[in-house]
Amino acid sequence: MRLKALLFAACLSPAVAIYSDEVNHVDFHHALLGTPSPDSTFFLKPSTASNASLLYTLSDKLLVGAVNPRDGALVWRQNLSRSADSPARGAGLLRGLDGNDALVGAAGNCISSWSAQDGKLGWERRFTEGVVADIELLELEDATATSGVRDTIAVVGSDGVGIVRRLEGATGKTVWEYKDTSGDVPFQVSSSSTEVFYISLQSAMLKGYKIKITALDPLTGRQTRQQVLNTDTDVTTPESVLYVGANSASPLIAWTDKSQKSLKVNVIGTKEVTSIAIDNVSGSEIRQITVHAPNKLNSLPHFLVHFVTDAGAWAEVYHVDLKSSKVSNAYRLPYLQGQSVVSTSAIDANVYFTRITEAEAIVVSSASHGVLARWDLQTPPSEVALHSVSEVVAKGKSLAVRSALFREHGDWQLVRNGQIEWTRHEGLIDAVAATWAETDFQEDLAHELEVEGHETLYGAYLHRVKRHARDLQHLPDWLKGLPRRILSSILTDEVSNLDSFGIAKPVIIATKNGRVHALNTGKHGAVSWSVQVTDTTQWDVKAILSSPGAVTIHPSDGSSVTLDILTGEILSRTEPSGSTLHTIAVLATQDGASLTTAGIGADGAPATALVKENGILVTTSADGRVLGWISEDNKAPVWEFVPPSGQKVIKATARPAHDPVASIGKVLGNRSVLYKYLNSNLALITAVDAKAKTASFYLLDGVSGKVLHATTQTGVDSTQPIASVVSENWLAYSFWGDVTTDESSAKGYQLVVSELYESPLPNDRGALDSASNYSSVDTLPLPHVISQAFMIPEPISHMAVTQTRQGITTRQLLCTLPSSNSIVGIPRPVLDPRRPVDRDPTAAEAEEGLFRYTPFLEFDGKWYLSHARDVAGIKEVLSSPTLLESTSLILAYGNDIYGTRATPSQAFDVLGKSFSKLQLVLTVVALGAGVAVLAPMTRRKQVNALWKA
Amino acid sequence: MRHSGNFSPVIQLSISTNMSQARLPPPPPPQWVVALNSPMPRASKGASSIPDPPGFSSNRGKRQQQQTTTKKPEETDTLKMKKAWEVAMAPSKQIPMNAIMMYMSGNSLQIFSIMMVLMLFKGPIQGIINTNAAFAKYESPSTHSRLIGVKIVYMLMQLVLLALGIWKVNAMGLLPTTRSDWLAWESERQSLEHAQFAFR
Repeated sequence: MRLKALLFAACLSPAVAIYSDEVNHVDFHHALLGTPSPDSTFFLKPSTASNASLLYTLSDKLLVGAVNPRDGALVWRQNLSRSADSPARGAGLLRGLDGNDALVGAAGNCISSWSAQDGKLGWERRFTEGVVADIELLELEDATATSGVRDTIAVVGSDGVGIVRRLEGATGKTVWEYKDTSGDVPFQVSSSSTEVFYISLQSAMLKGYKIKITALDPLTGRQTRQQVLNTDTDVTTPESVLYVGANSASPLIAWTDKSQKSLKVNVIGTKEVTSIAIDNVSGSEIRQITVHAPNKLNSLPHFLVHFVTDAGAWAEVYHVDLKSSKVSNAYRLPYLQGQSVVSTSAIDANVYFTRITEAEAIVVSSASHGVLARWDLQTPPSEVALHSVSEVVAKGKSLAVRSALFREHGDWQLVRNGQIEWTRHEGLIDAVAATWAETDFQEDLAHELEVEGHETLYGAYLHRVKRHARDLQHLPDWLKGLPRRILSSILTDEVSNLDSFGIAKPVIIATKNGRVHALNTGKHGAVSWSVQVTDTTQWDVKAILSSPGAVTIHPSDGSSVTLDILTGEILSRTEPSGSTLHTIAVLATQDGASLTTAGIGADGAPATALVKENGILVTTSADGRVLGWISEDNKAPVWEFVPPSGQKVIKATARPAHDPVASIGKVLGNRSVLYKYLNSNLALITAVDAKAKTASFYLLDGVSGKVLHATTQTGVDSTQPIASVVSENWLAYSFWGDVTTDESSAKGYQLVVSELYESPLPNDRGALDSASNYSSVDTLPLPHVISQAFMIPEPISHMAVTQTRQGITTRQLLCTLPSSNSIVGIPRPVLDPRRPVDRDPTAAEAEEGLFRYTPFLEFDGKWYLSHARDVAGIKEVLSSPTLLESTSLILAYGNDIYGTRATPSQAFDVLGKSFSKLQLVLTVVALGAGVAVLAPMTRRKQVNALWKA
Repeated sequence: MRHSGNFSPVIQLSISTNMSQARLPPPPPPQWVVALNSPMPRASKGASSIPDPPGFSSNRGKRQQQQTTTKKPEETDTLKMKKAWEVAMAPSKQIPMNAIMMYMSGNSLQIFSIMMVLMLFKGPIQGIINTNAAFAKYESPSTHSRLIGVKIVYMLMQLVLLALGIWKVNAMGLLPTTRSDWLAWESERQSLEHAQFAFR
């Protein structure tokens, strides 16, 4: 026992951190941005000193990010929505200029400026007047400019008041302000080399809008002229305006008539509206029209209009005469079957259009229709490209182009000269459910062994001999692979060779847009396949069941789909049941052999009656009750838990399905035993009362519905995250508490840990004593609860517990920290509620591993599983055991995808990196050689000695 | 050397007698042969007065014989018992030393303390097994019954040493005397009912 205690003490040894050489080896991270918005994505050279450019984007999740176009790695990322009060109207806005080390982004009522190189915040402005409608950077540099950073023109509008402000580039201070109180809808801002244009939509007499353009002096903000364009009720909504150019010698505004027969173009600043008839060569209906124009002052005033039909696409290139402001058709990019995307890029004054179709990528100059460069796409694209941005570089006489294509269903690809350089799977940002898949490589063996177990002794023997004889056919292959295996096992280190221990299990992730991804955890989480299962935007996956070789996904509509884990092939589907399910229960039979599912309605009742093997099912209803159901009855629950009036159940957790307990008691310093209260049917219910500012935690027995333990915390802010978890014989929860009349109350984030014991006395097993089983219905003793609270520096949004194969390894409490974008694993011994308060531990307590209680629990740097990574927006953390007792797999998803391995008691069953097999072999060889040399010498000496005697 | 001196003249003599059997009468035997064959004359009175050389006692053997024959068997047995008691009490002299050593060596599991404990076990057990051998010297039909008590005391002393070893092993926590030592054989109480949860 002492040995065991010593082992236990060894488990507590402090340095359980991630070493720097394990980074990228044991963990992988998909730092995601989301769907890049078409008008806020661009290549940009952040510094005039270097020619290198980065790819910037603002996503639908309002994340600003800079991506290295070379390898697709995220350079920096910021969240615009963090500081904005009100949600932004549609997507946010992001603007940048070449050589200007400031990106300006807007979301909601907030404008912020970020350093383009490193993503540091320059300034931030929040407007009380309303939301930001548009922003534009002034490319022209005037005499008043004090710094190298260009100024921003912003339009803020609400309820018929539009305010145009010029904000100083370096500080964000208002230089001038123009207020439009005419009741127009503030729409956009545009600029030419001499003027700033404020574009608003004026309600027309009957319906629709007229476009009002107000020209402002860029230095003073004074109105110079104003004109209203007659739109003939073509513009019915702000979205009807196709394009408003900016930072151009001839900024454009373009829209079409309702029948899409003609395109109306106005060079901003002039009164004239040019109407161009659309020559529909395809014959089918035009689905989408986009206008592509350069946004540089010194670029040629050329623009391209891209027409997309369901079957194909073509484009027209137009030139603008600067003097007469006339728009004329220059040439046409021919109609091609299939989808294509067009993007604009400029080198000095020259404008290039890049068109990428399903088969090829071509570059044309805006001046003439000759194809300057053409590449065949090497791999046929899997999905339709939605939009792209391109960067054209002149290399001697030839051109090189790289384009970032955003494809349908979330893949962001960089195509460089026709070749795919990298793909970012931005669709993973909407992950709703995930699981580890079980590969079936040992399934056959398990089956064979099962057969042998059921046969007679002689039959089983024959079967085994036959099986081994059959296995001999693999012998040549095995022998062939032997040298390579030996070599690789010597040369590579141990950490990379653990795949056969269930560490490199593939991860299956279902996303909201109806897509299923498989990540190869052995290869830095690379996506091995992704399959579109349904076309939806709200795929509410409730459960993923993993069986050897296949996964079955159960969304809330009652349907299910089974996929092969190696190929992603859809093996089978079942139709939706018609009713929307609140939750889906994953039911295991008593022996845990097979898993089935049962749909639970919003009222908490199972859709179909349970069978007897399933035992008692505990569900929650949408109105916050907890219900217990027995078999063959889905009408009336067998028990019901309703919190006291005023309280609302916000969360319910139970012990994990796999939660083995290695020791049923806790050995104290004097070697007596404190017996753990172990009940596999524990459920922890969190209920809050927003009015009374309390949070109550109820520990229920799932069979009888009996409340085993209840506690109420006062002064709780229910708007802050409240996380809870229950495992083994302990539970933990965290909340934000304020000072109340209670003497011991404290203000701040708190983490409370409670341990359950059978009796307060050591060596006592409570009322049931040595009974081998018990019934929750008859006699269920209450636990003896010991609790302790800790003050923690940050909120915890989600809690989980590491799971290992046998539960011998100490557990870690996995906490998601949303404010520092990290995941921390707090060792359980630190959270021991029996730590002595206000005194040093006695010798016996010290032997047990207890140390003095300190109210403030600072997260040790070594506890951070995510170490230096910025793991943002995590909603759920999963843990799974491996064949190695020391190691637990961890997967976090929600926004980013992060996977790692946790070894709470260090990797005690794995040879470390410092163990060199080569050195061992060399030592043995050297010793052997030494023996071979010395043996004859010694023999000769012994013979000589015999002769001399 | 003495042998060759004695026998070679005899051989020569026999040869010469065979050769001159007819002509010559046998010569008289030499003086030393006569002296050898005739017994030594009794020492003269004067000679007996000559003192023995230093370190030589002409009548030592006689005295010894006299002494051993004069010792009584009861005295020998008492002596044997005395010696046996000494042997029996010898282990008790080790007790204080061993106790101090065990106390000083600490309760941690280290190679030295383990070796010392092993020695502490080995000595007494071996002593008990070899009890009869230890007292074999003092064994005689007359002392046999009296030695039983001595042997019991001897074994008791060894047991005291053994007890010291057991105390030490217990102090080191190697004896399964507490509840925690049997914890691994206790099993988790099983619930007769089984609940499943659908909280997601």
